[in-house]
Amino acid sequence: MRRSQATKVAGIKAILRRVGRLLFNLPHVAVYLPGGAPIVKRPLARPTWLVCLALVAATVSGCFGRSEERAFLNNVLPPQGPPDTTVVQRPFEPAPLTMRVLLSWQYRNAVRDLLGAAPAALVTPPPDTTVNGLDAIGAAQLALSQTAITLYEQSALRAARAAMTDAATRSQLVGCAPQSTADQACLSQFVGRFGRLAWRRALADDERAAYVALGVQAATAYNDFYQGAAFAAAGLLQSPNFIYQVEIGRPDPDEASRFKLTGYEIGTRLAFFLTGTTPKDDLLAAAEAGELDTAEGVRARAAAMANDSGAQETTSRFFDEMLQLRDLSQMAKDPATYPMYSAALAAAMREETQRLLQNVIWDQDGDFRQVLDADYTFVNADLASLYGLSDPPPSGFARAPLPSDGRRGGILGQAAFLSLMAHPNSSSPTFRGKFVREKLLCQTIPAPPPDVDTNLPNTTGMTTREKLLAHRQNPSCAGCHALMDDIGLGLENFDGLGRYRTTESGQPIDASASLDSLGNFAGARELGGLLRRDERVTQCFARNLFRAATGHVDTEGESTPIDKIHAGFAGSGYRVKQLLVEIAASDAFRYAAKGVTP
Amino acid sequence: MRPFRLSRRTLLKGAGAAIALPTLEAMLNSSGTAFAQGAPIPKRFATFFFGNGVILNRWKPTATGPGWQLTEELAPLSNVKSYVNVVSGYKIKIPNLRGHHCGAAGILSGYPFIALPPGGAPYNSKFGGPSVDQVAADAIGTSTTFPSLQIAVSKRLTRGEGPTLQFLSHRGPDSPLPQEFNPAALFNRLFATFSPPDPTDPRDRLRLSVLDQVRADARRLQAKLGTADRARLDAHLTSISELRTQIMALPPVITSACVPPGAVTETNVDIGGIEQLESVSEAMSELLVLAWACDLTRVASYQFSGSVGGTVYSAVGQTTGEHTLTHDAQMQGQVHDAVVFVHARFAYLLEKLMASPEGTGNLLDNSCVLLCSDVCEGLVHSITDYPILVAGRAGGYLKYPGVHHRSTSADNTSDVLLTCLRAVGANVSSVGAEGGLSSNPCTGIMA
Repeated sequence: MRRSQATKVAGIKAILRRVGRLLFNLPHVAVYLPGGAPIVKRPLARPTWLVCLALVAATVSGCFGRSEERAFLNNVLPPQGPPDTTVVQRPFEPAPLTMRVLLSWQYRNAVRDLLGAAPAALVTPPPDTTVNGLDAIGAAQLALSQTAITLYEQSALRAARAAMTDAATRSQLVGCAPQSTADQACLSQFVGRFGRLAWRRALADDERAAYVALGVQAATAYNDFYQGAAFAAAGLLQSPNFIYQVEIGRPDPDEASRFKLTGYEIGTRLAFFLTGTTPKDDLLAAAEAGELDTAEGVRARAAAMANDSGAQETTSRFFDEMLQLRDLSQMAKDPATYPMYSAALAAAMREETQRLLQNVIWDQDGDFRQVLDADYTFVNADLASLYGLSDPPPSGFARAPLPSDGRRGGILGQAAFLSLMAHPNSSSPTFRGKFVREKLLCQTIPAPPPDVDTNLPNTTGMTTREKLLAHRQNPSCAGCHALMDDIGLGLENFDGLGRYRTTESGQPIDASASLDSLGNFAGARELGGLLRRDERVTQCFARNLFRAATGHVDTEGESTPIDKIHAGFAGSGYRVKQLLVEIAASDAFRYAAKGVTP
Repeated sequence: MRPFRLSRRTLLKGAGAAIALPTLEAMLNSSGTAFAQGAPIPKRFATFFFGNGVILNRWKPTATGPGWQLTEELAPLSNVKSYVNVVSGYKIKIPNLRGHHCGAAGILSGYPFIALPPGGAPYNSKFGGPSVDQVAADAIGTSTTFPSLQIAVSKRLTRGEGPTLQFLSHRGPDSPLPQEFNPAALFNRLFATFSPPDPTDPRDRLRLSVLDQVRADARRLQAKLGTADRARLDAHLTSISELRTQIMALPPVITSACVPPGAVTETNVDIGGIEQLESVSEAMSELLVLAWACDLTRVASYQFSGSVGGTVYSAVGQTTGEHTLTHDAQMQGQVHDAVVFVHARFAYLLEKLMASPEGTGNLLDNSCVLLCSDVCEGLVHSITDYPILVAGRAGGYLKYPGVHHRSTSADNTSDVLLTCLRAVGANVSSVGAEGGLSSNPCTGIMA
């Protein structure tokens, strides 16, 4: 008895030491140059402190059991249910702006709209880097490497040359007939028009002159006007004014404490967020006319653009990121355990999930929450076979009802999620539960304690549930694993490839589980039903889409506009098209923290 | 008859640009140990990284000093044993806020990593300062066509927890350097784009003019931005300068050591869902040796497998991802097999370096290659008694034959990083910061 107490005291002391180190080390963030000299020490904002303290407390409480963990979570995370309107809402503090690299597919779409489909097919922009779950956040923080700059240069030269050697399209692209090899007037007209579209703003006179000079130099060197136009275009496409969404803002005339994005910047945000490509001429004109300076003007534009086919591409790509569907093409599955697995099956899994989303969001323009527990899905022959459905489609994909008494339903019952959140040769309740917590509920699972020891008794012949129960007998693991495993165990009827099963290792599967205080469930459809009633899910979805739109993790200071966005989403019956508009029209989309005053 | 001596200045007189040339035999002094003008043969540096640690009691030799014996996990190094220094007993001293992140950032940079506050988003972290290969590149990589290379083999990386786990080379917190996974593409980058400059083709001249204007645009933009964005554009500007250097570079000169292959066909495409780790790593190792022999670069990072990597070691009969295996106490035998496999691939690189003649010796005589991982042992995320190998002689700076050097007082792993940097000619006063700061070299492996 005494020894375990002494151990516990030593443990507490160790934790307090760690907490002390954590608190001591966190107050600033330092950026170092080679050589060790720090150049920036940014104090972390108060909300970040709160989260760090929350993490620490979660780690600490994780060592002592589940109940403290739950109590802590209920206190720190947003309450369920509609916001309490009697509470004074937190004043809006807009987030700072940073340059945002165009995502690779946005870059390609922009080149397509500027130069044509054939030139766009030749570009090889650098791959995107995910930070905090989204490419847009990585694009707003990370610097471009030399590899990236080289890829941009090659892409720009190839695309521009292809466009300017195509006799059928180049004269329309240039917009004037050259009167001489180095016709300066025509080059100037081209650079002005093309440059405005490429840089998403009008060029200054000296900028225009500089690129005209490049065009003249190249045209003269090759004795060919269109080579001149090609090099001028290639230069414009390599400029940071094309490669980055430059967001600087200007002082807000109505509110001295903050900045407002310019009309051009709003137009650019709308174009990339809602249509995944560069703003067209009419949108730039609207910006120039001041239409995008008011919330009403932005809302009207956004509503129209949400009907653009580009909006379907951007939301589809957003779900590819958020649901990790891109990982399907690299997913490792053990051929001995899953001999029917193939690259084609993985591709079909992605298609199935995307088709359900497409059906709910665009075909129906309906309640988004249907994707959580829909009693139908879209399968091809391979997937129908995987799911044991009768009447597989003879070719391609078809809508298929799911058994009404079955456990499959919604995206959590689809093979994509079930296979991705699994091991190469088995299911993983922990991965599946972690996904629900982090991606659907926006909850952070604390770090495993340092020096975690996963030494376990022998688990051969056990079911997954039994193996994981052995995990949770270790108090330093139990707190966090309960958060994840409690959910994932309810999906154990689905193996590591998403096939339905009732036994494992010769024993019947017990898939009874619970989701916090929301209730018990067994299987994907019931889990989806519980999540459907939980406002945290739609709030988390709105927050994630907001992050993709603005390139940063939403801050505490933005909680009021985000609540308003969610209220608009909910009020519309959870239509995603409306959510897109709510985000675009939000103060948090149009205003920013004070930056460098020009 | 007096031997013919070529001076580098003679060669460059026509070109009118300051670019690096490979080590022509005619430019060496008569003993082949230095350039005729007295400048030493350049040193090379690489980090060689694999994820998820080792099985310490099967990796660490018992005896210390020159008489150390190969253990099961070090056995693949038998042909290069004299070139290998084993370091044990050292500890990662940056704050241990998160397993794997701490090891990776600690062993590759010595800077505390920066946790990106999740606020309901997935946990991520970035490096807090430059990785050691980039510190080396800034010191010894400025005169070669490529300041450094980033090579990777296994594609099963963990990309969801931020740059710390995904990338090996970092110029700073916001500047991770992407890796090349495709040997054929790396070959193209290094060799196939080189063509003797054609004075009648204006293309390269025009490319440079365009880049000049792009630089002007970037500088103009910088004036309007805050500190963080200005730093990002500084990186952009540096990258443009490096691209300009490559456009202007002469092709490498063919020597007995610098003989590029006709074509490289390995593209790192999986067969039946299985990564071709041996074939890819061999191709990459050969390309690295060639890049060093041709003096196209002097610095590299080589990511055999990633931090928290899900690499499946099919070649030794495995079907589960490695990170998962390390956290299963019943599977440590398989973890061991994977570690042996990785060390065999490391041995391949060292053997190729040893077989590449340079001066009176070979490339490995003039190199320092640091093998490390993101934890000591994956099962427990340990960061004490860290497994490190320092291979190569670094021109005589490192002990030869190599020793097993053990710290009995949990010294700072950054001491080893400092020694590696100085071994290749980066005369820095310290490495890392805060807990990971070291200005104290690891004398136990210095000659």
